[in-house]
Amino acid sequence: MSNVTVLPNSPVWPNKTGIAFEAFTQGGEHGTMSQVMAPPWLDVLDETIGACVTHRRPDLEARLREKRAQQLDPKLRVLVVGESKQGKSQLVNALLNAPVCAVGDDITTTVPTFVQHADTPSAALVRNASAGGSIFHTPTERIAVPIDQVTKQAAAQHVVRAEIGIPRALLDSGLVLIDTPGVGDTRSAHTASTFATLMQADAVLLVSDATGELTSAEMTLLKKVMEACPNVTVVVTKIDLVPSWRSVVERNRALLARAGVRAKLIPVSSALRLRAAKTGDQRLNAESGFPELVTCVQSDIVASAELLARRAVAVVASSAITQLVTPLREELTAHDSSRTVATISTLQEAQRRVDELRRRSARWQNVLNDEMADLISDVEYDLRDRTRKILREVDKTYDEADPAIGWDKFEQWLEDNLNEAATTNFAWLMERAEWVAAKVAKNFPVYREDLIPGSVLPDDLLEPASKLEKPKIEPFSMPQKLFTGLRGSYGGVLMFGLVTSLAGMPLINVISLGAGALFGGKSILDESDQRLKRRQAAAKAAAQRHVDDFFMKFSKDVRDSGRHIQRSLRNHFSTLAEELQETLLESARSAKRAVQDDQTERERRMREGRKELDKLVTLYKRVQALGGPAMELTA
Amino acid sequence: MTLDRVVWSMLQEALGVYRDSPRATAWLRSHVERYTEPVRIAVAGRSRIGKSTVVNALVGDEFTPQSSFVWYRGGTEPRAQVFTGPGRPHEVAIGRRGSRNHVETGQFDRADRIVVDWPARTLRDVVLIDTPSEATPEQVLGDADALLYLMRHVQDEDLKFLQSANDHPIARTAAVHTVAVLARADEIGAGRIDALSSAKQIARRYRRDVAVEPLCQNVVSVAGLLAVAAKTLREDEFAALRVLSSLGREELEDHLLSADRFVGEQFPLTMEPAVRQALLERFGIFGVRLITALIRQGFDTQVKLTGQLVQRSGLGELRDSIAVHFVERREILKARSALLALDVLFRMEPRQNARKLMADLERVVASAHDFRELRLVAALQSGRTKLPAELQAEALRLVGAEGVAPLARLGFEYEADARELREAVLDALVRWQAQAADVHAPQDHRKAAQIVVRTCEGLLPQFG
Repeated sequence: MSNVTVLPNSPVWPNKTGIAFEAFTQGGEHGTMSQVMAPPWLDVLDETIGACVTHRRPDLEARLREKRAQQLDPKLRVLVVGESKQGKSQLVNALLNAPVCAVGDDITTTVPTFVQHADTPSAALVRNASAGGSIFHTPTERIAVPIDQVTKQAAAQHVVRAEIGIPRALLDSGLVLIDTPGVGDTRSAHTASTFATLMQADAVLLVSDATGELTSAEMTLLKKVMEACPNVTVVVTKIDLVPSWRSVVERNRALLARAGVRAKLIPVSSALRLRAAKTGDQRLNAESGFPELVTCVQSDIVASAELLARRAVAVVASSAITQLVTPLREELTAHDSSRTVATISTLQEAQRRVDELRRRSARWQNVLNDEMADLISDVEYDLRDRTRKILREVDKTYDEADPAIGWDKFEQWLEDNLNEAATTNFAWLMERAEWVAAKVAKNFPVYREDLIPGSVLPDDLLEPASKLEKPKIEPFSMPQKLFTGLRGSYGGVLMFGLVTSLAGMPLINVISLGAGALFGGKSILDESDQRLKRRQAAAKAAAQRHVDDFFMKFSKDVRDSGRHIQRSLRNHFSTLAEELQETLLESARSAKRAVQDDQTERERRMREGRKELDKLVTLYKRVQALGGPAMELTA
Repeated sequence: MTLDRVVWSMLQEALGVYRDSPRATAWLRSHVERYTEPVRIAVAGRSRIGKSTVVNALVGDEFTPQSSFVWYRGGTEPRAQVFTGPGRPHEVAIGRRGSRNHVETGQFDRADRIVVDWPARTLRDVVLIDTPSEATPEQVLGDADALLYLMRHVQDEDLKFLQSANDHPIARTAAVHTVAVLARADEIGAGRIDALSSAKQIARRYRRDVAVEPLCQNVVSVAGLLAVAAKTLREDEFAALRVLSSLGREELEDHLLSADRFVGEQFPLTMEPAVRQALLERFGIFGVRLITALIRQGFDTQVKLTGQLVQRSGLGELRDSIAVHFVERREILKARSALLALDVLFRMEPRQNARKLMADLERVVASAHDFRELRLVAALQSGRTKLPAELQAEALRLVGAEGVAPLARLGFEYEADARELREAVLDALVRWQAQAADVHAPQDHRKAAQIVVRTCEGLLPQFG
């Protein structure tokens, strides 16, 4: 193991360096060679960590940092894994010649158990201080327990591991044996905790008993273990029970060779070893196969810690680099990144909308023109209709009535009626105008809150029309009546006087006078009748003139306001359309710019990516040089 | 009508509907034939778990393992047939290899299955099928009505096998066909002398394990080698073992520490290494340890010893399990297989005029309260579900453990009239409804009560 104390090119690790230093000063025999200079794997590992930082992969970074800290730690963790009931705990016990791990016929080991050197035997349980917290970064607490109570209490909730200290020569060099719960048990939590521990392992003893060769599940497990930690030794246990263990071992060797796994395979019997320890029987000990295992642990694991570290770092670092390279390469190979596709589609959408706006603005203009023309003719017709009705009423009235009597009243009536007609007509105009506005808005390409104008009314409307002029009414005065009467009576007197004179009566007699009176009265009557007729005609003519005036004036007003409305609507909508068009054009322009920008940005990124990739590949080659599985990785 | 009659008439009806399809007819014929046969039990498990050993122990004779499906049927004369592909089977001889029987299949590279007729008492009620370890669940269960699944400890892979064995709507409603076996019970206790009782305890724990419980009817532990030894122990072997046990206990223990030591050169007795090797191969180191200990304890005649071995190896318990769960339930297991077969047929060759049959199938499966009753009987009898003593007896009686006729279910010993029966049913119904609704009772208790309630409800309409 590399007992590195201070590393010039790396941050200081207070805890780790402390321990390392202590171990070194205590006379660790492997520390001298690497003390002066950082080992090559450390440089490579640090560079890989740097690459992880650059590529923003904090998860990988954390994993590598953990590995780094662990490699700098002088402790050597040897993990004992395997399916349940293969004799893992018993193997640990037999290795140490002490019943540190509980063994039983049913599932016994439930948490990883760390066995390490201590001057006096001691044991502790480590459990999550906060119940139910996440499994990462939760504070833990240690509780000291008697060694024989460890298993019983470890079954309690939230215990994450057990730690046992025991004075043994084998553990002296910083070796830590980790007994794990069986893999593939029905309680998956056990399996999970084993795999979590696997990340910390420097070396692994994979345990399989001799009652059968390695199963496919065990081979899968072996491959999985190799990915995290390449230093695996397969231990075949329980050879005392199986007469044909030699053939099982042979078949296992063949299986490993076929799977291309270079792992040592050692057959042992824990029962024999423990028995030998009890009786002090050296021959039995030799039979148990443990001497070979202990030698293997000491020479292959403890003594070649540097090599193990290099191999472990190579595996972890290359897996990290592979993970970094994959997305990078994908980005480089993808011709149209999804972002570019998005910007291009934005551009197309913007252009489409501009076209759409143009097409539809022609439509709303047509609608406005047509509707306003209709509106004006309709309103004019309505007005004419209303005035004609008034005139007919006037005619009817003056067929009978005498305009001389109550002209003022008539004038008032006519004014009121005309006003009413005008108001109704105008209200209708306004109503229609609003409707037209709404219809145009409907034909407008987009919907907006302010699409319908607040008011389309012209301000200077409804100027009072000219006064109705009173028709000329000739008075039928008394002298005129007298004169007319006399003129009429003259004829009567003369006519009847002449007739009666034939009968010998004087010209002026009773009869002729009576006829004169009659004739006089009739001509007065006729005269006044004629006068009435004249007055009526004059009144009708005056009313007609007035209504015509009114119509002329008001229809002009209506037409004006119609045009005014049309103009203001047109102005309103065309302003909106212009605004809209400007917005759309702007977005189209910016989309176009974005596409162009993307192009250049992508090219820049491609260049950078390629450079990064080259760098990573170089780093990968260096990692490969450390030793480890050869994998293909090219830019 | 009972379930097996209903299913039988469905099979006959299906034969009528599909009479113009040769494939369907052949399929149905085989199932009609199978319906009247003894229960077929497949023995399955991972490789080298000891399937052939368990089969040998059950048959009571040793056969050399084969690499294909081997069927052991009852017969008056030993006879073996090899089926390869379509066509008639080939008769082959049964020879001897050492102490074992050997079916001479040498001339056939690949046999689909080997059928051995063998005169054995066990085979009167069952047909045993030894399966190759690479067989898929479908292959294993295609021809079998029931399954003995062998494993060491319950591992994920084993559960996956059992789950896929139940991965069919009909199979799921009727998971009544599996007994799990902790084979190699001797190895569970690392060969210690008390290994077998330890294994029995573990089996008991698995019986109540939530992951295992729904997948099988029972879990038993068996030490295969010992079980075979119990059935096939020979004079000369017994004599040799007696000689061994005459050695001092300490001394013998030393030499029984490992297999290597036992067959090694420095053995204190004048016994041929070949003899010791043979003993080891037949009984295992644990078997030799246990048998010598038993002889020393006074089981010193072959008869006494055999009795002890049958009991201790777990073979007795395994046989009982087979009897209770498979042989006695033959009708239901057969009905279950036939329903599965009909389902396959309807899916492969759906037809307009099979509509009624399809509906019948669905109805039978949905209302197959028989299957639930069967599971409850198994749970109560194995102690997986516990009820207070008097309730347990009544529950077992009501769900038909003592007979499925209404009189037997209700516990009448004379011909009661309808009114009396009706009152008895109503009485039981009310009491069990109360049990089912008892919030203080444990979950399994309430579940059991619900099944009993359903049974009572089913009985009620029969009495107007």
